[in-house]
Amino acid sequence: MFGYYFKLGVRSLRRNPFLTALMVLTLAVGVAASVSTLTILHMMSSDPIPQKSSRLFVPLIDNGPTEGYTPGEKPDDIQLSYQDAQNLLKSGQGVHRTALYGVAGAVEPPKQGIQPFTMNGLAPTRDFFAMFDVPFLHGQPWTEADDARGADVVVLSRAMSEKLYGDADPVGRRLMLMGFPFTVAGVTDTWRLLPRVYLLAGGSAYGTGEKFFIPLSSAIRHETQHNGGMSCTGNVDAGWAARLASECTWLTAWFETASAGDRGELQSWLDNYANDQRKLGRLKRSAPNRLFDVNGWMEYTGVVGKDSRLQVWLAFGFLMLCLVNTVGLLLAKFSVRASEIGVRRALGASRREIFRQFLVETTVIGLVGGVLGLGFAFGALALIGMSSKSMATVATMDWEMLGLTFVISVSAAILAGLLPTWRACQVTPAIQLKSQ
Amino acid sequence: MEIRPILSALLRNKTGPILVALQVALSLAILANALHIVNERRAVAARPSGMADEHVVFSMETDKLGNATPEQQLAAIKRETEVLRAVSGVVAAAQVSQMPMSRSGSNTSVALDPRQTQPSAAASVYVSGDSLIKTYGLRLAEGRDFRPEELVDVNDQSENVFPPGVIISRPLAEKLWPGASAIGKTMYFGTGSTAPPTRIVGVVENLISAHAEVSERGMLSVLIPQRLYGGGRGNMYAVRTEPGQRERVIKEAEAALRKSSSTPMIIESTSVDQARKDRYRGDVALQWMLITVSALLLLITCCGIVGMASLWVTQRRKQIGVRRALGARRLDILRYFILENIMITSAGVFGGVALGLALNQLLVSKLEMARLPPGYLIAGAGLFWLIGVVAAYGPAWRAASISPATATRSV
Repeated sequence: MFGYYFKLGVRSLRRNPFLTALMVLTLAVGVAASVSTLTILHMMSSDPIPQKSSRLFVPLIDNGPTEGYTPGEKPDDIQLSYQDAQNLLKSGQGVHRTALYGVAGAVEPPKQGIQPFTMNGLAPTRDFFAMFDVPFLHGQPWTEADDARGADVVVLSRAMSEKLYGDADPVGRRLMLMGFPFTVAGVTDTWRLLPRVYLLAGGSAYGTGEKFFIPLSSAIRHETQHNGGMSCTGNVDAGWAARLASECTWLTAWFETASAGDRGELQSWLDNYANDQRKLGRLKRSAPNRLFDVNGWMEYTGVVGKDSRLQVWLAFGFLMLCLVNTVGLLLAKFSVRASEIGVRRALGASRREIFRQFLVETTVIGLVGGVLGLGFAFGALALIGMSSKSMATVATMDWEMLGLTFVISVSAAILAGLLPTWRACQVTPAIQLKSQ
Repeated sequence: MEIRPILSALLRNKTGPILVALQVALSLAILANALHIVNERRAVAARPSGMADEHVVFSMETDKLGNATPEQQLAAIKRETEVLRAVSGVVAAAQVSQMPMSRSGSNTSVALDPRQTQPSAAASVYVSGDSLIKTYGLRLAEGRDFRPEELVDVNDQSENVFPPGVIISRPLAEKLWPGASAIGKTMYFGTGSTAPPTRIVGVVENLISAHAEVSERGMLSVLIPQRLYGGGRGNMYAVRTEPGQRERVIKEAEAALRKSSSTPMIIESTSVDQARKDRYRGDVALQWMLITVSALLLLITCCGIVGMASLWVTQRRKQIGVRRALGARRLDILRYFILENIMITSAGVFGGVALGLALNQLLVSKLEMARLPPGYLIAGAGLFWLIGVVAAYGPAWRAASISPATATRSV
C-alpha cells in the first residue's frame, strides 16, 4: 500500500498546483534558513580533533597581581607567561607536551619571479606534530635536539612548499626566513583544524591554516615578535630578556595524556606546581588552576560567536513560522478532498488507512521541499562564503548536515501534516455522501 | 456592532484563526527582535572614526629582508617617512604603531590616582613620532598638538620612556574628568606606586580604537609622541592623500619605498575604508541575514493571511449569498471579513508582543543582546494590523461581489 500511497502523493502535487507550490516553497525557505545557519554553527563548533579531544589539555595559571583582584572572578587572560610555559615543558607530565605562539616571518623566495612576502606560522615544540596528528608529506618534524639548541629548522605547509619549490621535495634545502637561513626539515600534508583550537588568542580561529612551523626555542632566540595578543599587568622593562622574565602572557601550552582518566593526575601536578610558585612568591593570586580538554577549551574561550547562535535561533523561529503556515495550507488542501475521503471510507477504508495515505502525501511534500530547501541552502552558503575567507572555510556542508537537512525537512512536513491529517480522518462518510 | 456574531462564528471554527494568529505572533516576535538587532549593528558600524575624511587615509605595513641595527632602523624610518611625503598627492605621512579599526594594536590602562586598586579606563595607544592630528585629520577640541621638541625617538628594545605629555580622545577625557576641561590635568599609566604620570596637552574630538570595540572602550584612545624603533624590521606608516588620489598614491608610494630600500621590501597597504569594511564584516553579514529573514517572514505571513481568508470566503459562499439575499449590503460583507481579520490579527499581535518580549529576554540572558525598546513592538503591532487589513481586503472584496442569486442557487 505504501508504494501506491506514495504514487498518489506524487500525483496530488499536481492537484492545486498553486497551493502545493506555495507549500513546497514555504517549507524549502524555512529549511534553507535553518540548515544554512546550522551548518555554519556546526562547522564552527564541531570538535576539530575528535579522536583525542578528551586527552589533550590546556593549563591556565592565573599570574595576575593581587591589586584589584576579587577572588572568584573569571580572568580574561587565556595565555601563559614564558616562565610558566618553560616550566610546563620541563615538567615531563603527560605523554607529550608543547608550548607555542603565533609568529609571522618575511620570506625570501628561492625561486625567481616571486616577490618576497610575509607568511603566518607557528612556533611550537616537536611534540606538537604528534599531539595534533599533523600528517607529513615529506621529511619529518625536527628533532628534540633541535628543540634543545634552538636550531634554525622549518617545517612548511604543503601549499607553501608548492609555492616556493613547486613539486620538488624541499627537505634539506635552505630558506631565508625572517632574515636567517633555515633548513627545511619537513613538509606537512594539507592540514587544518577548524576551529584552530591550539591557538585561540589572536588571529582568526577559522583561518586557512599555518604556512610554516619553527621550533619555539628558535623563535625565542631570534626574538621573534608574537603574532597575536599579549597581556601585561604593570609596566615591563624594555627588551627581550625582560619580556621573557616578565609576567606578560603570550603563549599557550598543551599536554597530551595516555588516557582521559589521567586528567586528575595532571591537575594535581598543576596544583603542586602553582603552590611551589606561590611559595617562591611568583604567583600572587590564590586563584584555581584550570585544566581544559579541547571541547572545554572551546567553550571557555567562547570561540563560537554569539552571532552564529543568534542566527540559528532566529532561523528556527522562522522555520516554525513556515510550519504554521504549511499547516494552514495543508488544511485548505485537504478540506476540499472531504468527499473523496467520504467515498473511500464508505468503501471500507479504515481511519488508519486514511491517516496513512495522507501522511504519506505530506511526506512527499516534505521531500520535495527538502530537496528544494537543500538547493536554497547551498545557494545561501555560497553567498555567505563569498563574504570573507574565514566564512568560506565554515560555510561548507558535510554529509552529516546533508542528512540532517532531510531529517529536518521531512519531520517538519510530517509535523505540519499531523493536524490536517487527523482532521481528514474525522470526515464522516454519511454526511459527505449525502451532500453529493 | 457585529463583533459578537463574528466572535461566536470564530469560536465555532477555531483552527484556522488560531493558525493565522500564531503566524502573526511568531512574525511579530521575530521581526521586532531582528530589526532591533539590525539597527543596533548599524549604529555600531556607523560610529565615526574621528578622521575628517576616511577615504583619503591608508596605512602601509612594511617588512624587510635582512637585519639592521636599531640605529639603521631609525634612520630608515626617518628616510622612508620623507620618501612618502615626497610622493605627489600626499598631504601628510607618519610612522605609527597601529591603525584605527585595524583589529591589531595595543591598550594601556590609565588611572586618575596611582593609589587606585582598579585602573580608571583602558585606552588604545597610538604611538607616533609625527603629528597624527595632521595625518589622520583629527579635530582638536581643546589644547594643542604636540610641539616638535615633544616628539622623541625611543629605542623600544633598550629603554622604557613614558611621555611627559599626551593627547587623549574626548570620550576618554569625559570618562576621567566628567564635565571639566582635561587640559593640564595629570593621569597615570597603570596603577601602583611606580605608575608614571603624564599631563594632558590636548583633546581630540574623537578617535576610534584599533579594535573598535562595541563598548565605550572603542572610543577611548591616547596619542603618545614617540618614534619607536628597534622592535623589528617592519614598520607601519599612515598616509593621508588629496581627495580622490588614494589609489594612485598607494601605487606610487609602494614603488618609491621599494626604490629607497637597498634590501627587498614587503609592503602591504590597507585603506581605512577597507579596515572599516573588514572590522564590521560580521555585523554587516548578520544584518543582511536578518533583513532577508524579515522580508521572507513578512511575505510568508501575508501569504498565510490571504490564503486562509480566501479559503474562508470559498467555504462560506452560500452563507454570504443568504446574507446578501436577506438584505445585507456589499459594504456589510466587506466589513464583516475585514473586522474578522482585524480580530484575528489583534489576537496575534497581543500574543506577538508577549512572545517578542520573551524572545528578547532569552536573547538578553543567553546571548547578552541588548534589551528591546517598546517602540519596535508598537511599530510592529501597527504594521501587522495594517498587513491584516490589506491582506484580507482582496478576499473580502471577492466575498462582497458574490451575487446572492448564484450563491444560493445550489441550496
